[in-house]
Amino acid sequence: MERHDFAKPGEYTLADLMTVAASREVNDNEVVFAGTGMPMIAIMLAQRTHAPNLKLIFEAGTFDGRPNVIPTSVGDPRCEGGASRASGLCEAFSIAQRGYVDLGFLGGAEVDEYGNVNTTAIGNYLDPNLRLTGSGGNPDINSFARRTVFIMVHEARRFTRNVSYITSPGWRVKKWPSGEFVHRRELYGSAFRGGPSAVISTAGVFRFDEDTGRMYLDTYHPGKTPEEIKGLCQFDLDISRVKGETAPPNYDELHIIHEVLDKEEIFLPKPKKS
Amino acid sequence: MSSQSKRITLSEAAEIIKDGTMLTFSGFTIWRRPCALIFELIRQKRRDLHLVEVNSGPHSEFLIGAGCVKIWESCWIGHELYGKYGANLSRKVKNKEIIFEDYSHAEMGFRFLAASAGMPFIATQTSLGTDIHNPEYDMLRRAGLRNGKNPKIARKKYETMQDPFYGDGLQILLPAAKVDVAVLSVQQVGEEGTVRIGGQFFTDPEVCRAADTTIVVAEEIVPEECLRTEPRLNTIPSFQVDYIVECPYGAHPTGMFGYYDVDGDFIRNFYMQTRTQEGFDEFAREWIFGMDHTAYINKLGVDRLVNLQASRALNFSTRVKRGQK
Repeated sequence: MERHDFAKPGEYTLADLMTVAASREVNDNEVVFAGTGMPMIAIMLAQRTHAPNLKLIFEAGTFDGRPNVIPTSVGDPRCEGGASRASGLCEAFSIAQRGYVDLGFLGGAEVDEYGNVNTTAIGNYLDPNLRLTGSGGNPDINSFARRTVFIMVHEARRFTRNVSYITSPGWRVKKWPSGEFVHRRELYGSAFRGGPSAVISTAGVFRFDEDTGRMYLDTYHPGKTPEEIKGLCQFDLDISRVKGETAPPNYDELHIIHEVLDKEEIFLPKPKKS
Repeated sequence: MSSQSKRITLSEAAEIIKDGTMLTFSGFTIWRRPCALIFELIRQKRRDLHLVEVNSGPHSEFLIGAGCVKIWESCWIGHELYGKYGANLSRKVKNKEIIFEDYSHAEMGFRFLAASAGMPFIATQTSLGTDIHNPEYDMLRRAGLRNGKNPKIARKKYETMQDPFYGDGLQILLPAAKVDVAVLSVQQVGEEGTVRIGGQFFTDPEVCRAADTTIVVAEEIVPEECLRTEPRLNTIPSFQVDYIVECPYGAHPTGMFGYYDVDGDFIRNFYMQTRTQEGFDEFAREWIFGMDHTAYINKLGVDRLVNLQASRALNFSTRVKRGQK
């Protein structure tokens, strides 16, 4: 087997597949904003494969880092390995608002057809079934970056017709005070730079039609079918543009994930030997 | 102010924070949180605190679980890898036992930036089109608190306007985050108050200036002249600090760059245990009440602290077990 050969089913986990798919969203030389967990590994993997000149920003205030030990949060001293600067979050968000950031990786509990994401509360905000973390930097990175990629667990209750609360803005968002939905371009005006470009779920990779703002299925993970995934969305998922299966990790990528980056198995347990 | 007059004890520091104080903190999520002082506030049964903060963490979960908090005004609360969300806030929100006000993280950061520079408000283009700006979700207004009686509570959650100078479209105007007291947990403070922070300083300089009173809880109080030989390495000038407390391991279970790592097991256990109020009360009996900070450190024990101790070269612990391996 060559290092760039694709691994076979059973040789990688679903989390490996998602991490590699996320890593492939990064282009070389881009400025990338990373959150805790899988996004960190995806970006550090890209740094070691196809995007050696990417510039990594952590929200708490580390810039152009080249960490060689996985941080467990963006406030971690491990973030500062090889960094150009370490300061604070007002600087990080100023840099983002100024327009330096190309790509951000984010997560969410619920997403709708237009890429609006909820991380605040499930149910009525004023009387919730479950209060979650709140926004963090999710809406900020999503407002300022040219592209954002969401990594999510795929369940029908999460791929919902209407999110309980729009924490992070998608392609069709609410215009206040009325709350009518308008295209993001109309609301953001000259501050518009882009929006959600992909959702990587445990079932597939989804993208957005920028004009209609609607999500469509781009690739399905090995073992899934487009129809099955359509059934896991409360909205009418467009599966007419599907390209095929999500490309699996190659041996080089698996080696970097498990033997270089996350040897401690903090975020990505190794595939179980069969 | 003479050097000695700034030095107080943990217990005296907690007494400065009265019932109803608007309070903020140093650090970020699970890093450099003034937990020792927070445990002391809980022992002193402080009530009706109004927390105003950037991304929160275990420190506020302690206060909220203990019933010390009336209002939580922030953007995020959780424990990173060690707990998915703030279970105590979540429970109190569900039971309508706390007032919560949601902003975005950049909004909270910029609000402190404004307050730190004496600006009454600041303009931004973040979070347009989200429910953060839903007029029905101005929770302090709903609670009748935006009536001007408290000079540090803004009369509106936010305002909008079109950019009057460059024509650059819709702007969100956010009120400065004015607070009564900031409590900072840092590595070193000089006897006159000069603060030297190791690693990322998060929003510490901003929250310090945003507050009327700043209390610095440091791992070490050091001779002021040691810090003044290399002022470029210092983070906050002496006169912005009102009180200083020496308190080794004062941020535990959160981490302190260069001194000790995050105690992930402690935080994970806290998160799992305190999903119910009974669980929190049990945690508080074991780790907060009936002891002082010295007893707390002794209870943690030497093995645990040695394990967390940061490498002097790397600034984090190479011994602590973080994952499954």
